[in-house]
Amino acid sequence: MSLKMKNFSFITGIVLLFFILRGAGSFAGAPEGFSGFGQSTDISPDDSELVFSYFHGDDAALYTVPVSGGEAELLAKPDEGKSYINPKFSPDGDKIVFVEQWEEGEKEQKRRYSQLRIVDRTDQTVEILMNTRDYITEAAFSPDGELLYFLKAGVYKNYSPITSERPHDFDMFRMDLKTKEIEQLTSKKAYSMSSLELSSDGDRLMYKTYGNRDQLVLRSLKNGKEETIVPAGDFASKEPIISSPTLSPDGEHAVFSDVAATDENGTFVYEGFRMDLDTRQAEQITSFHEHVSSPVFFHKQDKLIVTINKNFAGADPEYSYWQISADGEERNRITIAMPEE
Amino acid sequence: MTKIADHVEKVLEQLQSPNEEREELREELVSHLEETKQQYIDDGLTEKKAEERALKEFGDFNNIGHEMQEAMYPYQRGLLYGIGLGTILFGVFFYLASAYLLHDRIPGWLAIQLLTGGTVTLAAINISFVGRYFYLVNVMLLINVLWNGINITIMELRPQWQAVFFSIYLLILIGIGLVAVIRNSYYSSGPTETKQQKCGLVLLSHIVNLLFGLVVAGVSLFFLWALLAFSEVKADVILTLVPIIIWLITYKFQMGYISKKPLISIATGLGFSVLSIALPYTILGLL
Repeated sequence: MSLKMKNFSFITGIVLLFFILRGAGSFAGAPEGFSGFGQSTDISPDDSELVFSYFHGDDAALYTVPVSGGEAELLAKPDEGKSYINPKFSPDGDKIVFVEQWEEGEKEQKRRYSQLRIVDRTDQTVEILMNTRDYITEAAFSPDGELLYFLKAGVYKNYSPITSERPHDFDMFRMDLKTKEIEQLTSKKAYSMSSLELSSDGDRLMYKTYGNRDQLVLRSLKNGKEETIVPAGDFASKEPIISSPTLSPDGEHAVFSDVAATDENGTFVYEGFRMDLDTRQAEQITSFHEHVSSPVFFHKQDKLIVTINKNFAGADPEYSYWQISADGEERNRITIAMPEE
Repeated sequence: MTKIADHVEKVLEQLQSPNEEREELREELVSHLEETKQQYIDDGLTEKKAEERALKEFGDFNNIGHEMQEAMYPYQRGLLYGIGLGTILFGVFFYLASAYLLHDRIPGWLAIQLLTGGTVTLAAINISFVGRYFYLVNVMLLINVLWNGINITIMELRPQWQAVFFSIYLLILIGIGLVAVIRNSYYSSGPTETKQQKCGLVLLSHIVNLLFGLVVAGVSLFFLWALLAFSEVKADVILTLVPIIIWLITYKFQMGYISKKPLISIATGLGFSVLSIALPYTILGLL
């Protein structure tokens, strides 16, 4: 074969290869979306049930299951393209407040929205509490069940091209569930605000925020005074990187997940830590060597449920729920059978 | 063109010799064949028959060309084929893995991958081109190395087994690429003419010079990454690549200079490398 012919054949071959691969790629189909358990859970006031999100092809519905595991039961299913996440039980256990989240627009113009919804378990209705063009991330009941505190972000964007889009400009609000009146409690436009939770006596609330570093804030509900807490402890990161803090029922401790070690790939390993709110000293209580997050206290027992992500460094998470004793000594996986769709 | 000249030309097509060497070889091969032909004529064959016989005895031009190329520039053509086809093969596997396992189709990336793999393979097919344009071939190889280096950085987003497999594959490809560039620079200076001791120095100087280049590329890519990570300005992206472009231009001078003054050229190489980073950032600073 002459050199000219060789060149011509090779270039033609490469061009053909490109089009064949491009064609073959189009048979691969669109992403099926994420299926599996969601991250955050809550335990019913009588410590009998766990509520959680389960994703089918990127859409999450809410389910309940006995805290010891078993057959899950569908609680509320969203319309296609929407997800129900971050469920929280009301103090009487009859209602569950949660966030409905969805995206609108194509590619570049895509925007994420979310609104507050509540499901009444006595009459099986799902009501919209607040419809907004802003972005509500989570809510928490007051101990008497009459007020609902929630976090709302003003913008949903990324400040840098390699970080994913996230809600920012956060403030805290309070809704009277009878009158549906809303009161704005803070005017911070905070970069981040999360893990809102009220103490069982209803005197103060706790949330996580960022100010040069991750920190917890205890806010008095009587006078609005805030106390900032940076946990001290043996963290593998320079500064604590707090995730999903929660208050113990007696109000003396906070449990959260933080960096305990770095694995062989340089990925942070998050374990559960318990901090004494007076001394601010945090101790590691779990040793899963996986990504631990979203601890939730039982109300009447000295136990917690945590979420473990077995695929933290991967593209899609792989969550499972575990019961652990408050000192972390005992642990049991909650085995959940999902009902057929 | 006579049959003999045509035959010799086809042999030379398989060689990466630079122009001067090519001329010498042409002369040598043609006169050898002409001599053989003359002998057969003297033996009583017609001119046409004598020519046919001489060419037959000489052997197939493809085989002779390949043998001569391997004897003078061992493994160079194989390295180019390995890098080119290896890059294309990576494109095929990675594209299919993305499309079928992650449902992420990346035809734009595939086009660049096939283009850089394809150009290196074309250089291997047209090996005579390499001898005449050492510098251009090195630029092509360095772009291939740089692109495969960028590919490694995107492996972080892949599932673990894919990331490990593809990263090892790419590291091997980058390693072979750098070896090919060093050897290519070394051959460009015509080592056959220089003394043994100087050959070692020339090779060392080429390696050091390339290491400077890798530092320049590393700094540029770090700024590129930082710009993408911490700023929303996208127009400046090309500016971060300016040091690489300046270095590649000065590399043309270096390739020639190293063979003449291997020791001094290490200093000029360092100077050019510092300049290629400092100049654009000084100008930017003044603006």
